[in-house]
Amino acid sequence: MITVGIDLGTQRIKTVVLKDGAAIARAQAFAGFDPTKAAEQTVQEALTSANLKLSDVAAFIATGSAMEMAPYNAGTVSMMGADAKAGVYLFPKARTIIDVGAEEARAVKCDEKGVMTDFVVNERCAAGAGAFIEAMARALEVKLEEMGPLALKAERASPINASCVIFGESDVVSLIHRQESKPEIARAVFDAMADRISSMMHRLGINPEVVLVGGVAKDEGFVASLNRKLGLTVLIPEYPDYVGALGAALIAATRAKEGAK
Amino acid sequence: MDWQLIGDILRLTVLAGLGIAGILAVLIWKKNLATKVTFLRLVIQAVAFAALFYFFTFSIPLLYVLIGLFVVTLFLGRFYCGWVCPFGLIMDLESMLRKALKKRYRIIPDRLNRALHKSRYAIFLFFMLTPIALWLLDPPQNFDFAVMMARLLAGPFRPYSVLIDPMIPNVVPWTGQLIINDINFSYAYAQDIIAFMGENIGQIFLLAFVTVTLIGGFFIRRVWCRFCPTGASLGVINRFKAFKWAPLLHIYKDEEKCTKCGVCKRVCPLQVNEVYDQKGGKIETSQCMVCARCVEMCPYEGTLQLKLGNKSTFTSRNWLEPSKSE
Amino acid sequence: MNKAALEKKYTPEMPRKEIDELRSTIKAASQRVIAENIERMKKADPHRPEAMKYFDDIADLFGQRQKEIQAEKEKGKKVIGYMCLFAPTELILAADAIPVRVNSGWYDTSKLGDRVVPVEVCPVLRSTIGAKMIELSPFLEQSDALISVLTCDGMTKLSEILSDYKPIWGMNIPRVKDSTQSLRFWKDEIKHMKTQIEKFTGNKITRKKLKEAIETSHRATKAFRRLQDLRKGPPVIMGRDAMLVNQAYVWDDKKRWTEKTEALCDELEKRLERKDWVCPPDTPRVLVTGTPMFWPDNWKLPTLVEEANPRGIIVADEQCSGERILNDPIGVDEWSMDDMLNAIGERYLMASTCPCFTSQDGNEDRINWLLNKVKEWNVQGVIYYVVRGCMLYAMEYTRVKKALDKINVPIYYLDTEYTREDVGQMKTRVEAFLEMLTARVDF
Repeated sequence: MITVGIDLGTQRIKTVVLKDGAAIARAQAFAGFDPTKAAEQTVQEALTSANLKLSDVAAFIATGSAMEMAPYNAGTVSMMGADAKAGVYLFPKARTIIDVGAEEARAVKCDEKGVMTDFVVNERCAAGAGAFIEAMARALEVKLEEMGPLALKAERASPINASCVIFGESDVVSLIHRQESKPEIARAVFDAMADRISSMMHRLGINPEVVLVGGVAKDEGFVASLNRKLGLTVLIPEYPDYVGALGAALIAATRAKEGAK
Repeated sequence: MDWQLIGDILRLTVLAGLGIAGILAVLIWKKNLATKVTFLRLVIQAVAFAALFYFFTFSIPLLYVLIGLFVVTLFLGRFYCGWVCPFGLIMDLESMLRKALKKRYRIIPDRLNRALHKSRYAIFLFFMLTPIALWLLDPPQNFDFAVMMARLLAGPFRPYSVLIDPMIPNVVPWTGQLIINDINFSYAYAQDIIAFMGENIGQIFLLAFVTVTLIGGFFIRRVWCRFCPTGASLGVINRFKAFKWAPLLHIYKDEEKCTKCGVCKRVCPLQVNEVYDQKGGKIETSQCMVCARCVEMCPYEGTLQLKLGNKSTFTSRNWLEPSKSE
Repeated sequence: MNKAALEKKYTPEMPRKEIDELRSTIKAASQRVIAENIERMKKADPHRPEAMKYFDDIADLFGQRQKEIQAEKEKGKKVIGYMCLFAPTELILAADAIPVRVNSGWYDTSKLGDRVVPVEVCPVLRSTIGAKMIELSPFLEQSDALISVLTCDGMTKLSEILSDYKPIWGMNIPRVKDSTQSLRFWKDEIKHMKTQIEKFTGNKITRKKLKEAIETSHRATKAFRRLQDLRKGPPVIMGRDAMLVNQAYVWDDKKRWTEKTEALCDELEKRLERKDWVCPPDTPRVLVTGTPMFWPDNWKLPTLVEEANPRGIIVADEQCSGERILNDPIGVDEWSMDDMLNAIGERYLMASTCPCFTSQDGNEDRINWLLNKVKEWNVQGVIYYVVRGCMLYAMEYTRVKKALDKINVPIYYLDTEYTREDVGQMKTRVEAFLEMLTARVDF
C-alpha cells in the first residue's frame, strides 16, 4: 500500500511517500504564498522519483500549521500526533520527541504505540525556534549554515537574553560592540535556545531516550547545546525535517488499514 | 405464666407502635428535606422519654441501665446523647422555642468550647473520686470488701448516679427534689446536688443550677452537653485505640465532594469542628453525638454520610430538591 | 455627589466625540459578535432546545434586558453592580435593588484600557476599564453603585480606577478562608454591606425579605444543579449553550431565569429519553477551568473546542463565569437575621474555589472540585485556560496538573489574551489535545 504524508510547515512543505511501512521518496519546497500549489508540486516530485502515479496512492494525510490548505482532500493529523507516531517508528524505545521547527518548538510525550499522551508548545514566541537562529545569524553577519560549526569552536558562552527574538538581537549587537568573539556569541544563541527547550521539557518530564526532529535538528551547534543542557545524547533521525511528513504517512497507512476493515 | 413479663411485652409493643406511627407521621408531614431528620430525631426522643418514664421506674436498677448504656455507646458512639437523652430533649425543645421566636443563638468561642469539652473529664473525675476520697478520709475499722462495695454502689455518694442523672427527671418524677408551691419538680442532677450539699444549701444551689441551665439552654444550643460527665464518660470509651474500630455508627466524609463550605460546622448544636476540619473518611471525635444535623444540612449529595458499619444509613442530599422517592 | 468635584485620579480625559465614536463602532462590532456567536451555537446543534431562544435574546447585552433595567430604574429602583462573585447578591435583592455583574468580555475595549494600565495587567480588568472609558457596557452604566470585592491585586486597583466614575464599596475579603478570625471579619463586612445597601436604597432589609431573597437563590441553584446533572450523561446540550445559560444569571432577572432554566431542563429530559444526542456519545468530554470567560467576545475557547476537528464537548467547568456562580446554596440553619447573614457570609467565603484564597488546611477545595467533576461527569480531558496576566490561576496550574496526573486525566495549559489574532494557534493546540483524547478513547 502506498500512502503520502504532507507536512505543511510555516516555511517549507515536506512530503514523504510510504510504501508498506518504508519511506521510499521525499521532496520539499518553500511554502511561498500558495501552500496548496507547493504541496502539489512536492507530491508530484516525490511520486515521480519513486516511479508512481497519483492514482497509486491509497491515502493522503496532511499535518503542519497550514494543514487545512492541503491538496487532494487529505485528512489531517496534528503535528504533535505525527511527531509521536514517527518518533516511535524510528526509535522504538523513544517516549519523548522534541520538534524544533522554524517558528514553533514542541515537546511530545507518547506511549509505545506512538500515541501522544502529553505535549507542550513554546508559548507564542519564536525565541525557542529556528527563526531565532536565523535572526541571530543575520545579526552576526554569518550564513545560517555556518552558525553550528561556529558555535562548536567556542570555549564558553556569552550571556544573552533568550526571552525574545527582538531583545535577543539587540543583545547580540551589544555583544558584538563589546567585541566578544563570534563563536562565543553563536554558542550563546544556541545555549539560550536549548535553555528554553529544556525548561519546556522539564515541564513534561524527561525520558532517557529523547528524539530531536524538525529542521533545527540538522544544526550541530544546537544539538551540542541541547545535549549539554539535558545531560544526555538526543537521538537524531536521518532526515529530521521529514519526520512530521513521515508520521502523517504512517498515520495514513494505519487509518487506511482501519478503513479497509 | 409470668403476667408481669407479658404485660411488659405488651407495653413495649404499644410504645414501639406509637413510635413508628410518630415517625411515619413526621416523614409524611415533613416534606422539607432540610429539617426532616431533626423532626425524626425529636419523635424518637419523645418516644424514648416516654419509654424511660414507663419502664425504668423501679424494676431495673440504675446500674444496669448504665452498663447497658456503655455497651451501646461502645458501638453506636454517643447515639444516646443525641437521640435518647431526656435532658437533651429539654434543651432541644428550648432551641425550638427560640427558633420559633426568631431569636438568634449564641456560640461559645471555639477555644472555650474545646476547654469545656476537656473540663467534662474533670467534672467526671470529681464525681468518681469523691466517694473514694470520703472513704479514705473515714476508713472503717475492719476492712471489708463487701462493705466498701456497698458504700460505693448504694451509699449517698454513688458515683454512677451522677452518670445516670440526665435521665433522672423521668426515672423518679414523683419524688422531686425541687418543691415550688407544693408542686414537686424533678430535674437532672437534683438528687445528687442535694445529696452532696445537704438539704438547705442544696436547694438554693439547685435553683441556681436549674436557672442557669434553662436560660443557657435557651441561648446556647445543647449547653449542658458540653459539660455533661455522662457524655464525657460515654465519649471517652471510643478514644482508646483498642476501641477505634468499635464505633459502628459514625459520620463519614467524602473528601473529594466536600467544598468546605462550612455549613456542617455552623449547624452543629455542639459546635463540633472535627467534621469540618478532618480531611475525609471516618470522623473521629468524642464530642459528636451523631444527631446527623450536619449530614442533613450538607448541600452536596453524598458528601457526608451517617454510616452504620460499612453501610451508609443516611446520606447528605441536595436538599434544594425533593428526593425522587417521595 | 457633585460631578465636578470628582477629580479623575486615573482615567485620561477623552473628548466627548472620541468616546461616542469609539462606543458606536465597538458596540456595532460587539453586536455582530453576539449574533455570530449565537449563529454558530445554533449551527452546532441542529435540534437546539426551544428554550434556548430565551437565552439567545437575553444574551444580547444591548437588547431586552437593558431596556427592562432602564424601566425599573425609572420607577425608582436602584441598580447595584459587582465585579467578583463574592458580592452578596441576596442582600441587594432583599433591598429591592437589581444586582448585575459588570465584568467585561470585550476584546476591543481591552486595548483602550492600555491607556490607563500597562498591558501586563489582566485583560479582564483592562477591558472593564476600557468599557467604562467609552461607556460601552450597559449594565456598568446603569449601576448606581458598585460593590468591589478586593480579591486579586487587579480587582483591588480596579475599584480605585472605577471610583473615578461611581460610588464604589470595597469589601475586604480575607485571604485565608477557613480560619475563625477570617470568618468573623468577613461576617462583619457582610453586616456592614447590609447597612450600606439599606442606606443607599432607602429600603430596610427585613428578615422576611432576606428570607425571600435567599429562597429565590435556592430555587435558582436548584434549577442550575438540574442542568448540571443533565450534563453528566451522554451530551444533550452543547457546552456553550449551558455556559451561556449559567452566565446569563448574573444579569438576568433571577426568578425569570429560574423559570426558563427549568423549562430548558424539561426539554432536555425529553431529549434524553429520545436519545437525541447533540454529538456522538464518544465525543471527548472536556472540562474547562481557569480564568473566567465573559460573554460576548471571550467565547473563543468554547467555540474552538466544540467546532474543532476532532470535535470535543464541554461537559463541566470550574470558572467564576460558569458553574461557580450558582453551585453553592446558602445553608441557612435557622431563619433568624443573624443566622441568615452568617450563612450568606460562609457561602461566599468558604465554599469558593477562587485561587485568590488559601486555607489553613492546604487549600484542597479546588483540586477536590476538579477531581469530583472529572469523576462524576466522566471528563476525559481538562483544558486549563489562562489569560495573560492572571497570575493566580497560572500559578496554581502545576498543582492541578499533579493532582490530575495521579488519576491519569490529561490536562492542557492554554494561555491566551483578549484578542482574536491567536485563534489559529489556539486551534492547533486545542485540536492536538482533542486528537490525543480521541486516541485515548480508541485504544
